[in-house]
Amino acid sequence: MPTLIACFKWVVDEAYIRRGAGGTLDFSSVDYKIGEYDRNAIEEAVRLRDAGGGGSVIGLTVGPPESAKGVKDGLSRGMDQAIFVSDASFRDLEPSQTAAILAEVIRTRIPQYDLITCGEGSSDLYAQQVGPRLAERLGIPCVCFVQKLALEVGRLRAERRVEDGVEVVEAPLPALVTVLPDINTPRIPGVKDTLMAGKKPVTTVKKEDLAGGFEAALKTGAMTAASLERAGEKLAADAAGIARFVDALRKSGLIR
Amino acid sequence: MNFKLTEEQDLIRKNIREFCVKNVEPIAAEIDEKEAHPADLFKKLAEGGWMGIPIPTQYGGSGADYLTHAIVVEELSRSCSSTGFTVSIHVGIACMLINLLGSEEQKKKYLVPLATGQHLGAFVLTEPGAGTDVMAATTTAAKDGDAYVLNGTKTFISNGPLADTYLVFCWTDKAAGRKGMSSFIIPKGTPGLKPGEHFHKMGLRSSQTSEVVFKDCRVPAANLLGAEGAGMANAGVAFDHGRVGIAAQGVGILQAALDESIRYAKQRVQMGSPIARHQAIAWMIADMATDLQAARFLTYYAAWLKDNKQPFTKEASMAKLFAAEKAMHHTTKAVQIHGGYGYIKGAKVERLMRDAKILEIYEGTSEAQRMVISGNVLR
Repeated sequence: MPTLIACFKWVVDEAYIRRGAGGTLDFSSVDYKIGEYDRNAIEEAVRLRDAGGGGSVIGLTVGPPESAKGVKDGLSRGMDQAIFVSDASFRDLEPSQTAAILAEVIRTRIPQYDLITCGEGSSDLYAQQVGPRLAERLGIPCVCFVQKLALEVGRLRAERRVEDGVEVVEAPLPALVTVLPDINTPRIPGVKDTLMAGKKPVTTVKKEDLAGGFEAALKTGAMTAASLERAGEKLAADAAGIARFVDALRKSGLIR
Repeated sequence: MNFKLTEEQDLIRKNIREFCVKNVEPIAAEIDEKEAHPADLFKKLAEGGWMGIPIPTQYGGSGADYLTHAIVVEELSRSCSSTGFTVSIHVGIACMLINLLGSEEQKKKYLVPLATGQHLGAFVLTEPGAGTDVMAATTTAAKDGDAYVLNGTKTFISNGPLADTYLVFCWTDKAAGRKGMSSFIIPKGTPGLKPGEHFHKMGLRSSQTSEVVFKDCRVPAANLLGAEGAGMANAGVAFDHGRVGIAAQGVGILQAALDESIRYAKQRVQMGSPIARHQAIAWMIADMATDLQAARFLTYYAAWLKDNKQPFTKEASMAKLFAAEKAMHHTTKAVQIHGGYGYIKGAKVERLMRDAKILEIYEGTSEAQRMVISGNVLR
């Protein structure tokens, strides 16, 4: 009966970010969600538990106190219990700190586990570092960008998407995987799943319960909307227009 | 005073929105065009527990509150008003009435399959000559030993052609006036119960509507819902709950009209600038957003009263009246904002405008709502 740990992050839902005057980003009416890829990580842990006929899935997240809603959201997606590492200063953690916190919590509070699942990256920073850094700190194998996963006795078998094709790898357990969105289709929790989530056990770990200092190191200097400059040149769909188009591409160095 | 949804209500709203974007929005135009009931969609709604939200879990429901049900009807209607309405009448009237008035045996037999979404319910009251004037109904149920025999014709019955369980209102003692009407639970297939053909409607086209005819339809006395003679009071309970659902449907339509209007007004350029920057259009959108907010608060307040076991008849009527009339008004404006494009089939605002009209008519016309409200405030 495997013990699976699903890591996830409660992030700003980018659909609610507005572009303010002068290219600034307006976060005043944003809503939050579990990061898109983290939903795949949760779904995969839950799927492996159910496919194996038992075991348990522990959700693990680090964030400010308002992420508590995210913990409930995660639990509604099939996890059995959650550990919520919470502090108001955990709003601006950068990946090495997040990995250090997760590693300490896993080492000190989850004595035995078989697999850790993470999304390929968070939906906000998308640094893609927490998974590999966490595996390194725990001294366990890490398999990134997994699109298909199976647990066998004492080891995992994973399909990774790499640049030139698909790589099939095996690793001894315990191990950590980061998953791609193709690995599964995350469920949409039903009404009862959401109502029952609040009844599942949640362990809250505070900053003062951790041995490390973990002061926020990431300082956001400025954030502006990306802007796309267009030449605004209109070309006709005739021979002369096409010749001008090709000429323009040559001049800009896009073709030779 | 607290305007904040609970975490559960908010998460459920997010989940039903995601469900709608994936499963409802892509088929809404097609099922409208084809007047088709989306059976596969309703199977998915049943699986997610969306077909019995405020019903206790021991009777197959999800055990949430009525406000959550209203939020779900709103979000469904934002994508497809027909779907929102089918769920609304099934849950808000059929399930709620049996839950509130049914015997333990009736709940086990009829409510469980309804609240789990395996069965669909219908509310059978209106007759060809009896709309707002319920007293003009002519369908009768004559006592015959341990049974009643129903005769008469009902019309404009939503879910009529599809329902598994019909909640039927008719006279058991016409001479007794308001105390002479009774309500019955009648399963489909009962000899003498005959649903008619689907009516072709202007809007709400994938919701199935028909006549339901009773000809010597024999129903055991055990199928009486509530006491004999309590039918008129039971219909009042049905209207209170149903009207919150219709109001939520109006809120969903208003939200969709606003979504579409903002999207179009920002990208449509006339006279050198997006039409959203033209004051004539911007003010239409401002009014739309304001009325949407007001309609939503009225609706949630009525649902909140219900959840807090307070009377909500007047507030349900106010929410229904306001949301319906504002939905009609602003979907017309949304078509106006879209200009010619809004008048072409396939434009969402065109469907919204057709779907909005019925809100002012069914489950009590706007005039009937004003009768309820004025009757309450002039007492």
